[in-house]
Amino acid sequence: MRSFLSRTTGLAIVFVAAGGLLACSADTSKQAASAPAAKTAAIAKDAVYAPRQLTMRRLSGEQYQNVIHDVFGPTIELGGRFEPDLRVNGLLAVGSGDVSITAAGIEQYDSMARRIASQVVDEKRRDMMLRCKPADVNAADDACAGQVMARVGRILYRRPLTQAELQAYVTAANVGAVKTKSFYTGLSLSLGAMLSSPKFLFRTETAEPDPDHAGGWRLDGYSKAQQLSFFLWNSGPDQLLLDAAESGKLSTRKGVAEQVERMIASPRLEEGVRAFFIDNFGFDQFETLSKDTTLFPKFSAAAASDAQEQTLRTVVDLLIKNKGDYRDIFTTKKTFITQELGAIYRIPVVDALPNGSPDTWQAYEFPADDPRGGILTQVAFTALHSPPGRGSPTLRGKALREVLLCQKVPAPPANVKFDIVQDTNNPLYKTARDRLNAHAINPVCAGCHKIIDPIGLALENFDGAGAYRTTEQGAKIDTSGSLDGTTFTTAAELGKAVHDNPNTTSCLVNRLSAYALGRPVQEAAWIDDLKQRFAAHGYQLPALMREIAVSDNFFAVKSVETKAADAAAVPAKEAR
Amino acid sequence: MFGSRITGARTYLSAVVGACALTMASFGPAAAETRTFAVGWFSLATNSTENDCGPGGPNPGVQIQYQKSLADLGYTPKQIEELVKKAQGGEGGEMFDILRNRGRMDGKPVSPYIYPATSVDPKWKAITGKQAYGFNLDGKGEATKNGFEDPETREKGVNNELYRALGCYISMRGSLEGRPTYWAWAWGQLKDSQPAWLITVDGADLTKDGPVTVTFDRALEHLKSNVDGSPRADATYRYDSDPRSHNSYKGEIKNGVVTISEHGDFRMLQNPLVAPEFKLAKAHLRMKFKPDGSLTAFIGGYQPWSDLYFGFASGGIGIEQCVTGDIPGLYWLMRKHADADPDPKTGQNASISATYYIEAVPVFAAHPVAPKVAGDGGDAGGR
Repeated sequence: MRSFLSRTTGLAIVFVAAGGLLACSADTSKQAASAPAAKTAAIAKDAVYAPRQLTMRRLSGEQYQNVIHDVFGPTIELGGRFEPDLRVNGLLAVGSGDVSITAAGIEQYDSMARRIASQVVDEKRRDMMLRCKPADVNAADDACAGQVMARVGRILYRRPLTQAELQAYVTAANVGAVKTKSFYTGLSLSLGAMLSSPKFLFRTETAEPDPDHAGGWRLDGYSKAQQLSFFLWNSGPDQLLLDAAESGKLSTRKGVAEQVERMIASPRLEEGVRAFFIDNFGFDQFETLSKDTTLFPKFSAAAASDAQEQTLRTVVDLLIKNKGDYRDIFTTKKTFITQELGAIYRIPVVDALPNGSPDTWQAYEFPADDPRGGILTQVAFTALHSPPGRGSPTLRGKALREVLLCQKVPAPPANVKFDIVQDTNNPLYKTARDRLNAHAINPVCAGCHKIIDPIGLALENFDGAGAYRTTEQGAKIDTSGSLDGTTFTTAAELGKAVHDNPNTTSCLVNRLSAYALGRPVQEAAWIDDLKQRFAAHGYQLPALMREIAVSDNFFAVKSVETKAADAAAVPAKEAR
Repeated sequence: MFGSRITGARTYLSAVVGACALTMASFGPAAAETRTFAVGWFSLATNSTENDCGPGGPNPGVQIQYQKSLADLGYTPKQIEELVKKAQGGEGGEMFDILRNRGRMDGKPVSPYIYPATSVDPKWKAITGKQAYGFNLDGKGEATKNGFEDPETREKGVNNELYRALGCYISMRGSLEGRPTYWAWAWGQLKDSQPAWLITVDGADLTKDGPVTVTFDRALEHLKSNVDGSPRADATYRYDSDPRSHNSYKGEIKNGVVTISEHGDFRMLQNPLVAPEFKLAKAHLRMKFKPDGSLTAFIGGYQPWSDLYFGFASGGIGIEQCVTGDIPGLYWLMRKHADADPDPKTGQNASISATYYIEAVPVFAAHPVAPKVAGDGGDAGGR
């Protein structure tokens, strides 16, 4: 029996994270002490079984693009713009289950769909894209239109079209062909309609009874396929994965494991890893990041773009290519650099290319005694978490707590005054530390600043655009502080403190599982199990991704609304 | 640490470079400290002051200059008034046709820009003030007839006749900080259309007095700019190995000022829009490092003034109207004030003493070498 569902998750979400909500007056050193010690014994699978509600998630702009390029090739231009995403509990992936499409958004999707469809059927591409030719290019052709729409629809919808769906699209193509006296124009109109369909734009899920858990439900094969592919590749399922769903192989743990192994071994895993970190690091905020060009003239749009890419390359190189320890992203001296970034880092980067050429990436390793090391000291982190005209220990400390340690920092009171903090020319309080100390005299402010400023101040050697400095207004910058009881004097030592903090790895487990499922993960037993497995695998990210992807919880669903639409859900026979 | 990499020996890198790029390789025995700078501003060293053009102030603007040109051609005041009125009403074709052919060769109209000697010398004013940046190029010191006093060094007998010749044109007036219109326009053309100019200073310790070597080269890259259009510090360039733009001088640092003791020729290829090349004979140099790592410099010498003139003239009436002012008038001024290289037959000097002002930002630079294999690199220079 197949039940076709499209229900979003509820809006009321309880946030559960590694550190939970920070109490600003608390002694944070106790949190580290209270963190669960690593357990070595594996927890039985049934003990961690935790079905969830079905979700319906809107494709992100990147996912939309990836699917289009998978189906039609990378030369297809999308045009248009995507609807704004919604960040929920730190992740856009979680918010993707809470968003809809506005009227203006529908226009944009329609515009993109028409543009894509017209490129697919244009004379340059049609022979390669469509794989069949109409008997008469000036007339409708059921067979060719049906063949194209069935094949394309299977990938766009991540499942075979139903007979009714296929017939509707063939009819649309035929009507269009007759009215325009062009088979290809008709096909383009029908394909455009398919690309504008909610069945493409939203990831709907379908459930089936779970034989491994009596009375329980799980995603069906096709829903499993898309769950896996968007998690591991940030794109729709490929033909092999859809074939595995169709053949029933994804109905078994063995079949799922085989596909997961194949997908993790694929170079496309990098795309999935990048997508996770782009989301987790909040790099979408770069789209609205601005810097005062008088104060930070080197911070160009290219520098902002390269800064994100630098951090992503650092992470991917360490975690994927070198199968490294996740914690080392906070201490590694190895990174990549362009000429644009070289000017900010004050590193010579020779590029033997003609003037005007795009920058090339070069591997670079900071010397051992260099103050930079780890992603916290990179331009992406320091610049992103700074206002336009200065650095901000508070914003950086807050970001570190919330993004990397999963500890929620309460928002400041509405009536708080920031004038001293923002006055970077203050003759009395020359450094940010001085200004924050003066600001924190107010007991309303002191509690939170106590837990976020010490870690943010460690990054004060990096200005609002990420450039290195040792003084502010002529006064020497003091970068000492502490994180959950661990003291440090430099940014490098802060990186080591984050590396060694147990919340660092547990936060990643929380975030990655929430990202995978599209909702906050509340199943403590499962999370604990994943944490132990992550540790056992030396904190290798692909291993954690594998553990999540093969877990029953990744596919288990809590309840099912049955629709009497089974007949319509019978897969159409199609040409692929 | 960063400080030692910026100002220290050529040993600061450990870059791993991908294919198609030059490596930042280690260095052979060299000076203990090398700093490289990219020129981010270049203009005639200008020191306009009140009353430095004598009674009546500087020369008039181009519209008045044009009316004088028409009068010099024999047009009556009424005819000139009518031509100007038409031009102001958007029908300037007739007046501009006359002006762009105001030269006379065998009685026929010709371009005064191409043939400036065929135009009437308008006898525009030159600087009568006593101060100008520059050097004692002729070695006569205070004995120099009509020499300037340098406002910075207080040296007397300074030769800078180019500044004298041009300094009363409105477009040429300004100061080191208040950039003259023409030079701002010219630099705007140059900086984005020609390879950057690099200055490299080698010495044992550039924070102390002692001997140095100063070189000027072109880069293979254009000047790199910041978001606000200012020259970008800490960017990386490659030296152009073309010897035509390589200039090297022995010199010294004394009391924080870099000067050169070898006063040979200076030659850099340049964008033809301004001048095909920039040449100075008897080059003199004075540079200062600034606390922010940048430098300012004055470079002077005797310059062929015809190169300069045709740089001014290359834009024709468009540039004349919008930037320079009366272009043939500049010809006559430079011809009059030229003070070196007399023609053996006519006695007309072919060169004119000049001093230019430079601002430069610290950069990295590398000597590229032909890769032996992919990824093999070059010799990176310090800064």
